[in-house]
Amino acid sequence: MSSSKRPSRDPEAGASEYIIDAEGVVVRFGEKTAVDGVDVKVLPGEIYGLLGPNGAGKTTTIRVLTTLQTPTAGRISVGGLPMPSENKGIREKIGIVQQMISLDKDISVRENIICHGYFQKVPKADIMRRMDSISSAMGLTPFLDSTVVRLSGGWQRKTSIACALMHDPEILFLDEPTAGLDTQSRHMLWDMIRQLNKAGTTIFLTTHYIEEAESLCNRVAILNGGRMAALGSPRELCDGIGRFAVEHNNEDHTRSYRYFSDWDGAKAFAAGFGDDESVVLRKTSLEDVFLELTGRKVTADFVKVVRI
Amino acid sequence: MSLLSVFDEALRVARPDVYYLRRNFLSVLVTMLVTPLLYFVSFCYGLGSSVSDIGGVSYVAFVIPGVVALSTLTSSFSAIANKVLAQRIYYTSFDEIVLCPLSPSAVILGKALVGFLKSMLACSILLAIGLLMSADGMHVTPMLYLCIAVSCLTFSFLGVLVGFISKSLTDIIMFTSLIVVPMTFLCGTVFSVSSLPEAVQYFISALPLTYSVECIRAAALGWGVPLLSLAVTAAFGAAFFAICHWMLVSGRISKK
Repeated sequence: MSSSKRPSRDPEAGASEYIIDAEGVVVRFGEKTAVDGVDVKVLPGEIYGLLGPNGAGKTTTIRVLTTLQTPTAGRISVGGLPMPSENKGIREKIGIVQQMISLDKDISVRENIICHGYFQKVPKADIMRRMDSISSAMGLTPFLDSTVVRLSGGWQRKTSIACALMHDPEILFLDEPTAGLDTQSRHMLWDMIRQLNKAGTTIFLTTHYIEEAESLCNRVAILNGGRMAALGSPRELCDGIGRFAVEHNNEDHTRSYRYFSDWDGAKAFAAGFGDDESVVLRKTSLEDVFLELTGRKVTADFVKVVRI
Repeated sequence: MSLLSVFDEALRVARPDVYYLRRNFLSVLVTMLVTPLLYFVSFCYGLGSSVSDIGGVSYVAFVIPGVVALSTLTSSFSAIANKVLAQRIYYTSFDEIVLCPLSPSAVILGKALVGFLKSMLACSILLAIGLLMSADGMHVTPMLYLCIAVSCLTFSFLGVLVGFISKSLTDIIMFTSLIVVPMTFLCGTVFSVSSLPEAVQYFISALPLTYSVECIRAAALGWGVPLLSLAVTAAFGAAFFAICHWMLVSGRISKK
């Protein structure tokens, strides 16, 4: 990671206070290195986003941090407990909503939520009370007796989150929580994530939706090819490549981008093209940062395919 | 960790399967009973009258305990193996259980528990039918139930193990074709293994159903239970459990 892309705020100042503290995490599957020396340091009460293209290592990272995958190398502690010696204790402190809906689809929403209460050893007397309050807060009450398989993706996702919250976890891991959801369901889930965070839950989420990371996260890490490419708040990351972007539509239907730290410089560069319709002058977005760091390979490949 | 707390955790793990069973009790029961009932009809009614006595008992009395032993395998194995595979690979709900503060022993026992109970129920129904068909030759005793229970548990653990090892439904189908189906035919369920060539007898002595059939038949016919066969059946179960435990603890149960 180049120093220009680092955030100005240094979260490493309070190392002992990290609720997730992972250093030098490596995961290899045979010859393939899925995660290559990644550091993850999350502060309590933070919404931390892990952004990356498909195959960047996001899900593998989340599986390591949630004890589901044993890393090849690295030192990890979650909730102040070291891995792997305290895995059982860590599991009591975390909740996870996996990328794939991981519910028992043959039984009802109510039964799934109750089962999670039992799995997480919530006192029997509290299980029904917690199920009622969580399902009511999430609008799940009308669907409690529906078999999961009959619900839409959005309601299945909400059921997954309800299950993950049954034991009131300190940290909630969300692996691409809004993948495949419609816009309404996505916004509904974003509101829910903000509410949970406001109530004190630390959120660690992976996503490949830039606007999701931009809208929700206090800090965003960009993972590319199993390595950490950048870390900071969305604003800091944008400032890292330049606050203003000049986007130019080329004659071959591709686009070129230049970034500037000051408005005047960007304006002067844009004026050089003359034709106003082919040039857009705007603020840099997290998507620009993401594409600058992970490359515009998809577009280039697509052009190649079209030409063939 | 005490046995009681392992059992308590196992009941928690088994809860979703209990809910499923409660919803689909009749269809599950019918599915479990079809194969053994077909064996009853074809071997007891079809062949029964034309085959001479074996070991001093009628062929019908000889076959009934064999079919009950067969049922301890078929009722538990495939249902558990398919369920565990589906929960691991297709629903990924198995990860949710692994992520909870539950001991590996409880996870394995919990996954085996519902299959064990279903299998015990199926065997009880088959025994009742067997008593109607051959009341004078059958002895339903606590020892017979112990033999059936050990056998059901052994094959339930085998189901969990195959569910852990398999990467797709094809793997389970292959295991069923190569191991389970030959066991159902060769391990003495409907004939005496002593009539087989010696080389085949060596082969089937490596299969757990052989010992399960021996002790269930001996207990049902009042022959005096071969405790060694019961111990070997239990040892197979312990071995299946131990391999499952090792896989779970060492993280060798891959998602894909």
